[in-house]
Amino acid sequence: MEKIGSVLVIGGGIAGIQASMDLADSGFKVYLAESSMSIGGVMSQLDKTFPTNDCSICILAPKLVAAGRHENITLLINTNLEKIEGNPGNFTVGLKQNSLLLDQEKCTGCGVCAQECPVEAIDSFNEGLSNRAAISVKFPQAVPLVFSIDQDLCIGCGFCKGVCKAKAIDYTLEDKFTTLNVGAIILAVGFDEYDPGIVQQYGYGKYLNVVTSIEFERILSASGPHSGLILRPSDGIIPKKIAFLQCVGSRDKKHGAEYCSSICCMYTAKEAVIAKEHMEIIEPTIFSMDVRAVGKDFDKYIERAQDEYGIRYIRSRISDIKEILETKDLILHFENEEGKVVSEVFNLVVLAVGALPNRSTKELAKKLNIELNGYDFCKTKPFSPVETSRKGIYVCGMISEPKDIPETVVEASAAAGAVNIFYLMSEIL
Amino acid sequence: MVFEPKILGFLCNWCSYAGADLAGVSRIQYPTNVRVIRVMCSGRVDPVFIAEAFMNGIDGVLVLGCHLGDCHYISGNYEAELKMKMLSKTLSMINFSDRVRLDWVSASEGNRFAQIVSDFTEHIRKLGPSPVKNKKVKKEIIDNLNAVKFALCDSRLRSLVARQRELTTDGNVYGEIIPTKEFEEILNNAIENEITRHKILEKIKNEGKSVPDIAKEINVEPHKVLQHIVTLRARGLVDVDQINEEIPTFISIKEV
Repeated sequence: MEKIGSVLVIGGGIAGIQASMDLADSGFKVYLAESSMSIGGVMSQLDKTFPTNDCSICILAPKLVAAGRHENITLLINTNLEKIEGNPGNFTVGLKQNSLLLDQEKCTGCGVCAQECPVEAIDSFNEGLSNRAAISVKFPQAVPLVFSIDQDLCIGCGFCKGVCKAKAIDYTLEDKFTTLNVGAIILAVGFDEYDPGIVQQYGYGKYLNVVTSIEFERILSASGPHSGLILRPSDGIIPKKIAFLQCVGSRDKKHGAEYCSSICCMYTAKEAVIAKEHMEIIEPTIFSMDVRAVGKDFDKYIERAQDEYGIRYIRSRISDIKEILETKDLILHFENEEGKVVSEVFNLVVLAVGALPNRSTKELAKKLNIELNGYDFCKTKPFSPVETSRKGIYVCGMISEPKDIPETVVEASAAAGAVNIFYLMSEIL
Repeated sequence: MVFEPKILGFLCNWCSYAGADLAGVSRIQYPTNVRVIRVMCSGRVDPVFIAEAFMNGIDGVLVLGCHLGDCHYISGNYEAELKMKMLSKTLSMINFSDRVRLDWVSASEGNRFAQIVSDFTEHIRKLGPSPVKNKKVKKEIIDNLNAVKFALCDSRLRSLVARQRELTTDGNVYGEIIPTKEFEEILNNAIENEITRHKILEKIKNEGKSVPDIAKEINVEPHKVLQHIVTLRARGLVDVDQINEEIPTFISIKEV
């Protein structure tokens, strides 16, 4: 049987990018399919990464550019898998690119269209904390840097076409279906954050000053809505006392997932440290059941957070939050070390939301005929963490279980290695 | 002293001005409160003109054009209708009372012209002098009118109004017709946001203010003010002035 020397990578987050780069460097032709408008994934939304406190976009952007410019990588944005046929070594995959309503090749990313667009919409990259136009780019460092029209919001006024010097905009462009022949597939669709709005007790969605960790990540970010100023949503004041609540949606069989999301203890400590670094007056308090800093030197990071930055850790699980109507401050009740129930007022509450399987994983698994585990993460074995139940299909990153960025990158390279082995073993190249 | 309102009339060249002329040569009696400006079409009357007229102390504005369907430029008066509708929405948002009227007078309706002028003068007389002349509230009103004026200059609002007729009757670039109600919702939303933003800009023109202070002054919820500040910062119109302890203040940085 003829074997095809090209690989499809689904998901353009850090996992998909790393796997694509490694494969492309070792001579494979890679198709990197991303469902949103730019590669980068959740990492592009983060302010800093633990345990080094590196600026996330600063270390990610060069990778995005390198992947975008690599001669062996073809980026397919706004693209989803439709169907798959064939066998390991020679899959035929059908991909659907939802129309951007503009020509990707012609768009220069100048942004004049977005300035002229009369429609205002919520910017989901900034987690709803700022606005964007109906024609927009996902984030400033997006790769490829092309705009796209949100068909749900566009009123069809035609202004963008009028101002586009590159003549990229074409309202008649339809969804594009492509069929590719690939030998192997790597899945890297990542995760979804837990939505705390479904649980009454935290008041998320009801109280303005209760935000999720990813929203707080945007608030911290210099490219975020407040340009790095930490302001609370209710009145634009710097929250002096911030409470971080751990295990929201993780280790919680009743409301979320029963497993530990493994990253929250660290990212919460990081967010607390960065907040303190931004503004000395901020006093972060972290409420946790226990601290699970799994990873090399991660425990030192927690100790530094406590000793150097004076971050207060309280061992307690907060059961409910009440808002003070006038000030929009929040009252938390918890049990202190003496076993007494006390209450304390905070200006802002950050919920450390856990990681859930990506909502597309289930459908994808059905199409690809691979097995999932009980939580709907992809099923892998301890000694073959990047192999799925089907030959020729590999996984890396959060699709198989929650993990941090360094581990994800390791796995991505491992998946690329596994694809190499797959080809060598089947003696085709 | 009896209050004699000062009324500004924008009359279109082809119908209403000729109608006024006819009223004159026919010696029809009507109040002398209207100062007439001849424009080529009622569609030429930019809402900004009217906002400026009010800022200069005019008590009422009358815009007269050809009857619908009779426009010399085919659709100019339809545009005028949409513009005036938008204007009255913006004015009602700053509680500026009903002092604008749009009506149709043809070249042969000298009597109708006289009637409209009499009615409108009487209407304004009843409303009393423009609040701009009231020293107690003058600053507030002028600030608000300024906000309206800049909001009306805003390209976003102008784009929406300019395309309204086309999108709700002829169809958009996808060949779909947007229901008038749906469009008006989008437009009202845009008007409200832009007016609030320009109100904020007026308040922080000379000195930095915190979000809660601005919210109190313009009577808008603080979290909404913060959202507008975010948008205005993204547009490069507002920046952080200073940070006192935990309270940052924002200031307008560009003359709009």
